[in-house]
Amino acid sequence: MICIIALVVFSVMGIFSATHRALAKEALDCIFRRVTFRPCNTGFDERMKGMIVGRLINKSVLAARFVNKYFEFLSWGFIVITLVSGFYTIQGGYNFYLYGSCNGLNQSGFCAFDPKGENNKITDISQTCGTEEKSEKNVSLNGVDLSSFPTKNVGSKDTVVLIGCYECDYTRKAYPDIQKLVREKKTNYIFAHYPAKENTNFLSEVGYCVYKEYGERFWAFNDYLFTVDKVQIYQPDYINIILKNFDFNVEKINNCINDPATIQAVDYQVSQLKKTHLYGTPTVFINGEAFVGPKPYRVYKSVLNKFIFF
Amino acid sequence: MIDEEKIRKDFPIFDKNINGKPVVYFDSACMSLKPRQVIEAMNEYYFDYPACAGRSSHRLGEMATKKVREARQTIAQFINARSEKEIIFTKNTTESINLVANSLDLKAGDLVLTTDKEHNSNLVPWQVLSSKKGIRHKVVGSDADGTFDLEKYKKMVKGAKLVSVVHTSNLDGTTIPAKEIIKIAHENGALVLLDAAQSIPHQEINVRDLDVDFLAFSGHKMLGPTGTGVLYGKYQLLEKLEPFLVGGDTVEYSTYKEHKMLLPPEKFEAGLQDYAGIIGLGVAVKYLQLVGFDYIKNHELKLNKYISDELSKIPKIKIIGPADPALRSGIISFYIEGMNMNQIAVMLDNMSNIMIRSGRHCVHSWFEARGIINSARVSLYFYNTMKEAEIFIESIKKITQII
Repeated sequence: MICIIALVVFSVMGIFSATHRALAKEALDCIFRRVTFRPCNTGFDERMKGMIVGRLINKSVLAARFVNKYFEFLSWGFIVITLVSGFYTIQGGYNFYLYGSCNGLNQSGFCAFDPKGENNKITDISQTCGTEEKSEKNVSLNGVDLSSFPTKNVGSKDTVVLIGCYECDYTRKAYPDIQKLVREKKTNYIFAHYPAKENTNFLSEVGYCVYKEYGERFWAFNDYLFTVDKVQIYQPDYINIILKNFDFNVEKINNCINDPATIQAVDYQVSQLKKTHLYGTPTVFINGEAFVGPKPYRVYKSVLNKFIFF
Repeated sequence: MIDEEKIRKDFPIFDKNINGKPVVYFDSACMSLKPRQVIEAMNEYYFDYPACAGRSSHRLGEMATKKVREARQTIAQFINARSEKEIIFTKNTTESINLVANSLDLKAGDLVLTTDKEHNSNLVPWQVLSSKKGIRHKVVGSDADGTFDLEKYKKMVKGAKLVSVVHTSNLDGTTIPAKEIIKIAHENGALVLLDAAQSIPHQEINVRDLDVDFLAFSGHKMLGPTGTGVLYGKYQLLEKLEPFLVGGDTVEYSTYKEHKMLLPPEKFEAGLQDYAGIIGLGVAVKYLQLVGFDYIKNHELKLNKYISDELSKIPKIKIIGPADPALRSGIISFYIEGMNMNQIAVMLDNMSNIMIRSGRHCVHSWFEARGIINSARVSLYFYNTMKEAEIFIESIKKITQII
C-alpha cells in the first residue's frame, strides 16, 4: 500500500527532480499491478520500507521496530489521510471555483488559492450599525421590499441585487463584474445604495431622486459614481457639479432631496436593507443567494449558467 | 607483506563518504571495484593513442595494437594458456558462453550437462538450443550441503557432448572439483566449458593443469573494466569452431562472392573492440598478480569466517551452502525464512552505507526449486577489511532486533 502514498509524494517531488519522477513511475507500475490483481514484484514496496526503516533505525531502534512491524497499517493510515486531504483539496478547489473561497460561500477562513482573502473582503457596516449578528446564514432577501430601488431589465427570469456603497473599495471592485453579468445575462437588476460609512448617507437620497426624476438615465450616473475619485463624492458641492455634467436639473434634484417624502422613502429603503441582515458591502444576491464580498466574475456567472461551467 | 591500507588507497571509492560515513562495498561478486591503475591505463589509451588496433599502421595505431597484444599475452600467461591465440576478447562471460553455444557443432540429441546452480548465462543458452536445435540439456543436482555431487555426475556424463559448469557459484560461493570433473568428462568423450566468472578473481586458474577445453570469464569481476570478457579455448578446438558473429577484422580478404576467415582469435572478434577496456583488463590482471592469490584467499577466508560465525549466532538467519566458510570463497549468501531480503539490503545501505546484493542473483532456477523467496549476498574481496565486516555484523544484528 506504500505504493499509493509513494505515488502521491514522488509525483509532487517529481515536478522538481527526475530521480523522484522515476520512483513515481515505479510506484504507478506497482499500483497498476495491484489493481490488475498481479503481485507487485518490482521490489518497490520492500525498497521503500527498507529506506524508511533503515534510516530510522539509526535514530531509534524502537521507532524502527514499530514502523517495520506496522508498516502496512501505517501505510493504510497514510492512505486514509491522503484520501481525506485529497477530498478536502478537491472540495476546496470546487468551492473556490464556485464561491471564490475554499471554505464555501462567504466563508472567510484561510484559502490557499486566495491566501489574502481578497474574495471575501467587505466594508464592515457593524461599526455604524452594530445591531445584527454577523453571519452569512442570516443574510437573506426574505420579506425585503425592493420595489423602490432602481431596477432594470424587469421581467427577466434571473434577478441580481447589488447592495453596495459608493465609497467602499470592495463594492467598487465588484461593481464592473456585476454590470458585465447583467449585460451578458440580461438579468433583472436592482441596485441598492447602503452607506457603509455615514459620510455618503446623502448619496442615497441623491440616487433616489435621480432615479425618480430621470429613470433610465440614473444608470450612467450610478456608473460614474463608482469610478470617480471617492474623496470627491464626500462633498455635496462636487455632486452638484456631477449632476450638472449629466445634464440633470440640479435644483430639481436638490428640491427632491429636501422633500420630507424623499427622506421618508430613503429611510424606508434603509430599513428594508437592514432586514436582509447584511453585515458588509458589497452584498450581492443572485436569484436570492447571497454573495458577501467581491467575488471573481466566474462565481457570479456560474450561478446563472445552466451547468456550472457554461 | 601486503599493506592493507596501501591497497585501499588504490580504490577511489574508499576516499568518499556518503552522508558522512564511508562506503562498505560487499558486492564484488557482481562488480569488483577498479584500482586507479586500471582507470589510468584506460585514460592513457583515450588521451595518448586513441586509435584502432590491428588495422591502422600509423604510430598511434601501432601503439594500440601493441598494448592490446600485451594485454592478450598477460591474460594468456595469467591462466597459463599455451598461446595468446587461445584468448578471445568478448563483452563478458555471458557472451563467451554464448559464443561456444552458438559456434560448437551441437546437433539434435546432443547432451549438454550443467549444474543446478548455474547463472542464467550458463542455463538459458542451452535451453534456447534445446528448443531451437533439439539438443538435450540435463542438470546435475548438488549434494544436500550444496557441493557438487560427483557420483551423480559420473552417471549422467555418459554420452554427453559438452559439460558446461560454473566453477565457483555466485549463489553460495562453492567451488566444484573442476579437475576431476574435466577428467571424467574427457574419459567420456565430452568437452568442458568452465564458467570461471566467480573463480578467476579469487583463485589461480591453470587451464593446462585443469585441461579445460573452454574457460569463460568477465573482466568486471576481477578489477577490470565493465564490458570486457574472455573466452579461452584450446587452439585446435577454436580452429574448428564457426564464429557466430562475423564482419570487420574477422576475414583475411573478401570478394563480392566469398571471403576467407582469419584464424583464431581474430575470427571471433568481429568489429572494433573495446581497446581501452582490454588494455585496462590487462592492467587489472597484473594488479591481481601483484597482490597474489595466497593473500586474496587468506584475507577473504578470514573475513568470511568472522561474518559466517557471527551470522550463525543469529537464529533467524540461514546461510546458503556449506557451513565451512573455506568452501564458500568470498561469498556469504543468507536469508530469513519468509522474508524478502531486498528490504534487508536497502536497510543496510540506508543505515550504514553497506552495499550488498539481494535477490535471486540470476540463479532463479535454484530458488524456484526450493521455494525460497531470495537471499542477501555478501561478497568479499581483498580490499575489504575486518572493520567493515564488524560494521556489517553490528548493522545486521540491529536489523534482526526489529524484524
